[in-house]
Amino acid sequence: MGKLALTSLAVAVLVLTGCSQKSPEVDMTKKDVTSSTKTDDGMSALQKLIASLEANSKKVYFDFDKYNIRKDQQANVDANAALFNSAEAKQFSIKVEGNCDEFGTDEYNYALGLKRAKSVKDGLVAKGMVADRVTVVSYGESNPTCNDKNKECWDKNRRAEFKVLP
Amino acid sequence: MILKKLILVIGLSILSFAADATVEIVKKIDVLPKIAVQDASASTVSPELRRAFAQLLIGDLRVSSHFRVDEEYLKSSYEGGPIENFLSDRKVDTILRFDLSQNLNNMTVKAKMINAKTGTTTVERSYALNDVKRHPFLAHKIVVDVNDQIGAPSIKWMEQSVVFAKYTDAKKSEIVVSDYTLSYQKTVVAGGLNIFPKWANDEQSAFYYTSYAGAEPTIYKYDLKDGSRRNIISSSGMIVCSDVSKDGRKLLLTMAPKDQTDIYMYDLITKKIQKITNYSGIDVNGNFIDDDKRIVFVSDRLGYANVFAQGINDSNVEQMVYHGKNNNSASALDNYIVYSSREDKSEFGRNTFNLYLISTKTDYIRQLTMSGENLYPRFAKDPDTIMFIKQYQNQSALGIVRLNANKTYHFTLKTGKLQSIDW
Repeated sequence: MGKLALTSLAVAVLVLTGCSQKSPEVDMTKKDVTSSTKTDDGMSALQKLIASLEANSKKVYFDFDKYNIRKDQQANVDANAALFNSAEAKQFSIKVEGNCDEFGTDEYNYALGLKRAKSVKDGLVAKGMVADRVTVVSYGESNPTCNDKNKECWDKNRRAEFKVLP
Repeated sequence: MILKKLILVIGLSILSFAADATVEIVKKIDVLPKIAVQDASASTVSPELRRAFAQLLIGDLRVSSHFRVDEEYLKSSYEGGPIENFLSDRKVDTILRFDLSQNLNNMTVKAKMINAKTGTTTVERSYALNDVKRHPFLAHKIVVDVNDQIGAPSIKWMEQSVVFAKYTDAKKSEIVVSDYTLSYQKTVVAGGLNIFPKWANDEQSAFYYTSYAGAEPTIYKYDLKDGSRRNIISSSGMIVCSDVSKDGRKLLLTMAPKDQTDIYMYDLITKKIQKITNYSGIDVNGNFIDDDKRIVFVSDRLGYANVFAQGINDSNVEQMVYHGKNNNSASALDNYIVYSSREDKSEFGRNTFNLYLISTKTDYIRQLTMSGENLYPRFAKDPDTIMFIKQYQNQSALGIVRLNANKTYHFTLKTGKLQSIDW
């Protein structure tokens, strides 16, 4: 029995050594652990509310190489301010994500995405949202909703959208 | 007398042209030596590896732009004979012969140069490697030595490692270390969005990159020696490490702690953050110049993206480029600035981005590419070689511009879309 235990230990050590000798690689998602009380469909009540608010928010679209709020998009900004100021949403923070079309793969594109998110944040604050509830982040060209190569598609990618954070 | 003066003027012109990389030399007077590569490896070595190694040598010799290269895959014995040592029918000047052997993960290569006019060996060296996957770097090293042997300008940049980020899906990208031909590739960071890798030191033993895994975009330092990573600094909105000072101590960061992108300098030892630019629009892409006392950067302060410079402790801003209406990415080395320029400001126009080179000492502008999407130019450690990203419809490639030879080469990435590069 003692011998068996010793053998098992030796095998375990070999395997571990084998792992540590593998090529170094960082997996940035490994530490992401989420836990909450799940319902039958796998979502908690909180998660359902967040998903509903995100689904009801309206994307804000931008002109080529611009970060000002277009006249035809102001109503979307106002509707989002009303949604996020509603009683059920007031407990949450809102993250505005700025996005760009595929042209230009550089820091400028990420900065352009951030300016778009900031324009939307300013629009929300102007409609009564507390600035501290709103954060901004840029995803540059990394998060397209459409991958076709035409104007309609690029129009859809130049946008700000919203994440509701508990 | 007139003839003498004319010769003097021509002579001076050639000298001044040679000294300024922004001036394109259209006609080369020198005749380059013709070189052939011979594989003298034992038949027990994998034929695929032998052929791949020969192709790497042939490719490197071509990219050096210092040889005319016989592109045929030739075999030979290592000692050679009356035919193999002269290759009279191929009219070559020089032969590069290699004998590759492999033992598990170890690889050794004996290589020699033969003067094909006399049939004699001019130089012979042995090389060893303990990771056979890295054999492209060994091929590059051999060609760097061959190039030095003929006294041509250094191509040591071929030995530099490239670190790049490639998009694999929405909000997903990986960071890969490779050689300049993408023949060797090793993914070192995966999972989530990881972008803008930047070498941390000349030794290329570590790099900085931006990760979106946490609550805020964060710069990490990844150490290639042990695979560890260290959290350096975070910012809301965005954060990018655009450049590292020569001594490796200071970082130029584009970040937005108050939702506003500006360029900051971060001292890794004192942890002090200094705001360098201050403008309500977009300031990005800082690059140290003038012994790290000044920076060039990209800003939309004139209503469109363009290249500017200012001192680290001096807020006076100088416009560096007086051409183009959308110059959105730049890199600097010594007196040279290379930038990419969108050729049409309208979204309905051609989606053409070309690269241009300027010198801060002259008014010349040299156009380096003619068509397509040419982005993200970065100098090698010598001002004769520029790497950039070439985007096709659904594919990316690494581009290499050899300025003196006026030649461009592309190395296609098989999967993913290139986000950024450093070397």
